[in-house]
Amino acid sequence: MRWIAVHLPLLSLESFIAGCGGEAADGTPVALIDEHHVAAANAAAQALGVQPGLKRATALALAPRLLLGQADAQRDLDALRGVAHAALAFTPAVTLDIGVAAFHTVLLEVQSTLRCFGGPRRLMQRLRAALAPLGHCCVYASAPTAQGAALLARMEQPPPGTTRHAADPAALREAIAQAPSWLPGAALPHRPALQAMGLGTCGDLLALPRDGVARRFGAALLDELDRALGERPDPRAWLALPEVFDSRLELFARADTAEQLLHGASVLLARLVAWASAQHAQVRRFTLRMQHEARHRHDARTPADTLLEVALAEPSNDPTHLQVLLRERLAQLQLAAPTLELFLHCADVARRPPPNAELFPTPRSEREGLARLVERLQARLGSGQVRRLVCLDDHRPERQTAQCRAGEPPPAAPGPRMAMPPRPVWLLPEAEPLAEREGRPLLHGQALQLLSGPERIESGWWDAGLVERDYFIAQAGDGALVWVYRRRLPPVSAGDGARWFLQGRFG
Amino acid sequence: MTSSLVVAPPGAPPALQARVPPRRPLPAPEALHPALWLGHQIGRSRDPVAPSGFAALDAQLPGRGFPRRALTELLLPHAGIGEIRLLSACLAAQQQAGRLVMLFDPPAPLSAWGLRQLGLDIDQLLVVDTRSRVIPGADSLWALEQALRSGHVGAVVAWLPPRLRAERLRRLQMAAHAHDGPAFVMRELAARQRPTAAPLRLALRPGGADRLSLAILKRRGPPLEAPLRLELPPVLSDAARARAGEPLPQDALHPATFVNFAP
Repeated sequence: MRWIAVHLPLLSLESFIAGCGGEAADGTPVALIDEHHVAAANAAAQALGVQPGLKRATALALAPRLLLGQADAQRDLDALRGVAHAALAFTPAVTLDIGVAAFHTVLLEVQSTLRCFGGPRRLMQRLRAALAPLGHCCVYASAPTAQGAALLARMEQPPPGTTRHAADPAALREAIAQAPSWLPGAALPHRPALQAMGLGTCGDLLALPRDGVARRFGAALLDELDRALGERPDPRAWLALPEVFDSRLELFARADTAEQLLHGASVLLARLVAWASAQHAQVRRFTLRMQHEARHRHDARTPADTLLEVALAEPSNDPTHLQVLLRERLAQLQLAAPTLELFLHCADVARRPPPNAELFPTPRSEREGLARLVERLQARLGSGQVRRLVCLDDHRPERQTAQCRAGEPPPAAPGPRMAMPPRPVWLLPEAEPLAEREGRPLLHGQALQLLSGPERIESGWWDAGLVERDYFIAQAGDGALVWVYRRRLPPVSAGDGARWFLQGRFG
Repeated sequence: MTSSLVVAPPGAPPALQARVPPRRPLPAPEALHPALWLGHQIGRSRDPVAPSGFAALDAQLPGRGFPRRALTELLLPHAGIGEIRLLSACLAAQQQAGRLVMLFDPPAPLSAWGLRQLGLDIDQLLVVDTRSRVIPGADSLWALEQALRSGHVGAVVAWLPPRLRAERLRRLQMAAHAHDGPAFVMRELAARQRPTAAPLRLALRPGGADRLSLAILKRRGPPLEAPLRLELPPVLSDAARARAGEPLPQDALHPATFVNFAP
């Protein structure tokens, strides 16, 4: 068995800061309060003397600019689940070590998937890369037992980029013997007693008679140490991936602008991508629900929440692409009221083989890149502004070309079958009436020279769009070719409008 | 050239003259750096170009075609003088290579039949309209820049808003470096007075029935004095074209040429 433990020492702080947006910049002292006592403090706060265990008033006296948040076990669990989902991409055997509330550890059993990912070193690299977007500080350790790996991960932090590793049970026993004695979860309440008795390391504990230890500190401590050393079975319940992704984030301050929302939403998007990657699926559609502050809902017309649904033409797992789409959509959104809470929901994913990572562009990668480009343009400009042209079988120039949105299947047109004399590329939106002098049409005061024609188009008696026209190709005064027509029937009266019209230009 | 160069004074001993190294021929400037060329020659680019389909025009363009990874600026008096027919061969070649053509902000509705008759595949064509909706605080050229930067589009034709600032065009030119294909921007004729960041600038005028008069205003090479007259893919039959009169010269009716014969 080979276990990897991912310990997140700062998870509570990080999950709180994720909801703060721009308020918690680097260097801002942040602390979490639980039952009027500081539960956790970041490095900037600790530099000012704020330590876990202080009273709230003491902490504020030490650091008046301290950003105080409420500790929230559910929020921490949500963030921990995100990490566990990202880990599920590497092995189906993932479990959360949530026996002790203060320690947040994800455990992975990777013996069976080591070969698939190219050995322990490569696996560890990929695991680091997969967890990096979630933005947590992670400490890794690997050991033959689950509890042993968790203990090693909680030990003092190794130099960054390295992993504490115990290859066999003997090495594990040696490593655990040097671990602080209060490190097992069951020993945490006894920390003062252990220190008073001079039991500094787990090795000191193990050297004592077992019945004495059990009487003083409870059987749970021995049980935990036995499981860490592999002397007692340690069955675990594997984490199952939920069918539907749902995650929420409470914002520390009200968000009024898209930028503020985007910061929180990007945290949720990273969790969404982790969830989708765990099942090797790609996101096709997701919904962001923004819950508004109740106090600002002045009247009944202001909705309780705003839904923003983002559908992708090409399913994707790329967090930057999803974020770009969300940013464009949020930028267009008018929020009815300030937002306090964000919910991200996704049930629609595409399960298909992962794309090959290609060194050189191929038609396939280019097609996907193009689909993303079109999606980005549609997200910003509106889906109707990126269009394809469709040829229709109709002789009337204004009904020969249809436009449909890019990405939509074209209307069931049988495809053009007609042969046709030359048609201009540019059509006028409305045929422009032309003045007339001595029976010849004028354009901008100069007589048009008719060069080709007439071509009679008489069509549309069946759908009230009857046209009866004689078309000519004419040369305008500057030499450009234009397409004009003469109404077949002359106007009945002088007030009936012009007889000649400009229809298009040969581009 | 070497004989006229006298390095040693005439009275110097012959040994000193013999020490002057023989002058080596200059290497071709484009071999030194892709941005260099001799002023009296047409620049040659090492990058592949996109042939225009007109032999007379290709002969005058650096590298014998429209540049890729750079903007080509076309100045027109108005839409509908043969500009699409000028570009159709180049765009169709991109489509035959399996790449997409994108049109940004065409000035009038397009006729799919007209495009098909020019050999374009309308399934490989996207029309993007960026001006129909006012985006607050946003650059209207954002979409064009995105398309150029993505590098996935085969060819881009964009009709730019009038009186575009030079730095906007420069920004587009920078974005075009990532775009492996020709990129054409259409601008009004008055823009010829202002400098451009595009390495190739052409001015188009109608030159009569199925003809186009094309002046090369800027290229890597010497200026071209007389505009080229190109025979466009014909719309008219030969007989109809023979009937067409010569267009009035644009500058013929100058106000100063009118003489008042009234007593």
